Amino acid sequence: MSRFACCFKEHPGLPGFLNFTSFDYAQDMLYILIFAFSSLLLSVFSGCDRRDSFPNRPITFICPWGAGGGTDRISRQLAFRLEQELGVPVNVVNATGGGGVTGHSRGARARPDGYTITMVTVELNMLHWRGLTSISHEDFEPVMMVNQDAAAVFVRTDSQWKTLGELEQVIRDNPGKLKASGTAFGGIWHVALVGWLTTIGLQASDVTWIAMSGAAPSLQELMADGLDIVACSLPEAQVLLKADKIRCLGVMADRRLPGYPEISTFKELGVDWQVSTHRGIALPVGVSESRSLVIENAVARAAKSKEYLQYMGSTGAGAAAMPSEQYTRFLEKTDKAFGSIFAGPSFEGFQHKYGPMLFPAVLSALLGICLLACFASGSLRSTPDREEISRTAMLDMSILIGCVVLYILTAETLGFVLSAAVILLILFSRMRVKSKIAIPATVLLASFVYQLFAVGLRVPLPRGFLGW
Amino acid sequence: MNPILTALQNVFGDPQVVLIVFLSAFFGVFVGSIPGLTATMAVALLVPITYWLDPISALAAVVSVVACAIFAGDIPNTLLRIPGTPASAAYANDAHNLTRQGKSDLVLGTALVCSVVGGILGAIVLMLLGHQLAKVATAFSAVEYFWLYLLGLSCAVVVSSGPKLNGLLALTIGLLISTVGLSAVHSKARFTFGVAELYGGINFIPAMIGLFGVSEVLNSILDSRHSKLDEKRKTRIEDRGSRTSSLLGLGAGMLFRRKGHVLRSASIGSLIGMLPGAGADIAAWVSFAVSKRFSKKPQLYGQESIEGIADATTANNAALAGAWIPALILGIPGDSVTAIVIGVLLMKNITPGPDIFIKQTELVYSIYVIFILANIMLIPVGFAAIKAASRLVRIPKAILLPAILLFCIVGSYSLNASYIDVTVMLVMGVLGFVLERRKVPLAPIVLALILGPMVEERFIQIITGSDGSFTGFFNPQRPLALGLAGVFALVWTSAVVIAIRRQAKSKRKK
Repeated sequence: MSRFACCFKEHPGLPGFLNFTSFDYAQDMLYILIFAFSSLLLSVFSGCDRRDSFPNRPITFICPWGAGGGTDRISRQLAFRLEQELGVPVNVVNATGGGGVTGHSRGARARPDGYTITMVTVELNMLHWRGLTSISHEDFEPVMMVNQDAAAVFVRTDSQWKTLGELEQVIRDNPGKLKASGTAFGGIWHVALVGWLTTIGLQASDVTWIAMSGAAPSLQELMADGLDIVACSLPEAQVLLKADKIRCLGVMADRRLPGYPEISTFKELGVDWQVSTHRGIALPVGVSESRSLVIENAVARAAKSKEYLQYMGSTGAGAAAMPSEQYTRFLEKTDKAFGSIFAGPSFEGFQHKYGPMLFPAVLSALLGICLLACFASGSLRSTPDREEISRTAMLDMSILIGCVVLYILTAETLGFVLSAAVILLILFSRMRVKSKIAIPATVLLASFVYQLFAVGLRVPLPRGFLGW
Repeated sequence: MNPILTALQNVFGDPQVVLIVFLSAFFGVFVGSIPGLTATMAVALLVPITYWLDPISALAAVVSVVACAIFAGDIPNTLLRIPGTPASAAYANDAHNLTRQGKSDLVLGTALVCSVVGGILGAIVLMLLGHQLAKVATAFSAVEYFWLYLLGLSCAVVVSSGPKLNGLLALTIGLLISTVGLSAVHSKARFTFGVAELYGGINFIPAMIGLFGVSEVLNSILDSRHSKLDEKRKTRIEDRGSRTSSLLGLGAGMLFRRKGHVLRSASIGSLIGMLPGAGADIAAWVSFAVSKRFSKKPQLYGQESIEGIADATTANNAALAGAWIPALILGIPGDSVTAIVIGVLLMKNITPGPDIFIKQTELVYSIYVIFILANIMLIPVGFAAIKAASRLVRIPKAILLPAILLFCIVGSYSLNASYIDVTVMLVMGVLGFVLERRKVPLAPIVLALILGPMVEERFIQIITGSDGSFTGFFNPQRPLALGLAGVFALVWTSAVVIAIRRQAKSKRKK
């Protein structure tokens, strides 16, 4: 025991850093007890469950879109069902950003151990054609398609266009005058509208596409008279449609949708053009067959469950349960179709008149003026009451920053608990906390935070080689 | 029977609903007080549970979590200068500076009482006028939003302490940082240097944790190395024992002294909250700025103004109820929380729409009664949270600082499970530390990060719509937009005039 304590004896050669003080025997015992108790707590709560059955720990469910959106809602419904099927927690992680690039890339590059599944959306078939990512459907093993919604065209009820034909005539007579939206430039609903225009022999530029961040703000803009046409799916527009604020001129599907039998299809209206968004569950490539089968069966049961169908029915979304093989072929087919669309004249070589650097350029000019004015007026001079930073303080801060860097570099391999413990120990010793306080505090803090976030609140924390 | 009475009976008469409100209040306060965990995340976690509940209980859970989470954001904001939610960032400096003077009881008491009153007033305003006010939301097109966002950004500069020029500098820095990533409008990568993880842009939550939290940890380290103050005395300035009477008494006293201001802030909050895409964050800032305009001590704003804190906390809680109006009547979610709410409603076979006030009168009134109940519940729950959290500052700094850093890391990571977010937090922490030493305020950077992408989107939308001509910004057919542009111009001319006058005065003194 004394040998154990001597590891922490003071080293005169190490000022400040690693400056643990030795302690007497009684305190020694107390400390060992606290330490043993904490380790016990840690091991019990962190769940050192090493069963061989799959799955035996929480599954991460990546949703590439933000909390509250349509994809998120479906993901959370499915995650809830999957949890019951698989008997382990299924935690939804919203890996948002980059128009879907972030989430899809993370899902494709995840460890292929079956513990990460992804809700892939139609953007998987689109983003790589636009050069935004190299990830495509080939980086995933499709498990099951769970939802499909066709595009539709909407106008305000108080507009004079009652049919698709009338709208077409107005566009023909006033090319470029009407404004439409539904999503960002090159998004699925933009492709849908452009596809319709080119099918009837018009050009993509005959309707001005105003890029909006999604269907909800586009519909709001339509209501506020800022747009003439919105293209989006029927469930997204359901409320305004039922309230008779907007009119649907047709849906781009091959047959009428079960939830909306009164809305005619483009095919019936003489336009041979169909497009829809789709969502499905996929695994990264390389998951063992036995594990992917477990996931597949669970997803199939979840997607066919009464509750899921009921939920989808109530929101007007199209439920689907397309099995793996069929889904793979579907993805291949859709991918080719989008390839030819994006290579076509409507998108290929398109230059934004008001390009992506316009706004940053304006801001840079403003920043330049600001900086000049600040220097001229001397408002940036550092305050006199703040003294110079001394060498030791500088070292303190560098160590603190270094600790965060260390955490970023090691957390993925070591896992949260170990990485956190390492940086806490370094910082405590730098702050001259006695080891009999520092070590239990470290163990308790690291395991408490892990319990709180990963187990209690089910938010993601890095899982290293130990699983915690 | 009177629908309001039925609603009261539905809510108060059902012990299950009251219990759910109580439990959700705890959950909301807990999640809201952890930086990095947002009200949206809390609500999203609740969704699977709401499946088993009847509509009123399900809504009770959501309402209660949100109402309490926004207040709880003030707790770490006051004690550690880490805003728990972006809605608290406007007064982070004021709250923390007052805490340093040992007045954390006053700040938290005021924040609690004003949040409760703001929340209740917001619910009442919308209960009485909601249906009429819903029309305002449909009047807001891209141009109106553009000017509203610019007005919000101007407020952040106006309320900042120190030279306004430095505030403007902070704002521009924030706006420039917000352009990193895939542009929402063009889907083109900017300033990403080939790092795919940066496509998502700089998330404002880790940025906020870094700017305020990490830079404050760096400041504390600097202080502890430099000052010769007795460590024990320094860490125990808070140890004054916050008794119930003092905490709530201080808050209530503040409320009675500022009755009129509280009413004004609640109205600002509900109005701004009602606009889809504006919400509690902008409401807090605008209310803070308006408060400064009417204050007798405007020089304290951005430094240690308890008046500003009172008004801003009132407004951000009042804004919450407002966001439900466009969601219920138009089915257009004002923020991500109401987007989830629409999902919950549809799941319960209740379709939002203009006739929801006619067909589902009781349900709509129940929502507002729940808002009121949740806010009342916030008093004991919030009080308990303040008591528990106040122990934090008694922990010796040597233990507390590393723990805070760990929480900053976890809060940044857990949002998106991304190390880029942790890196952003660190870089922003260092940036915040450097900027503060140069008297550049940090709060405008946070608002610029939130609003930057929205301003750009609207800017490009308008200029595409009007094909490059600036008439799109001053469209005579949109008087509301012209009005907002006028207010914007007024704010800036008055700021410039005041600055020139002050300079002239200081010259005369010399």
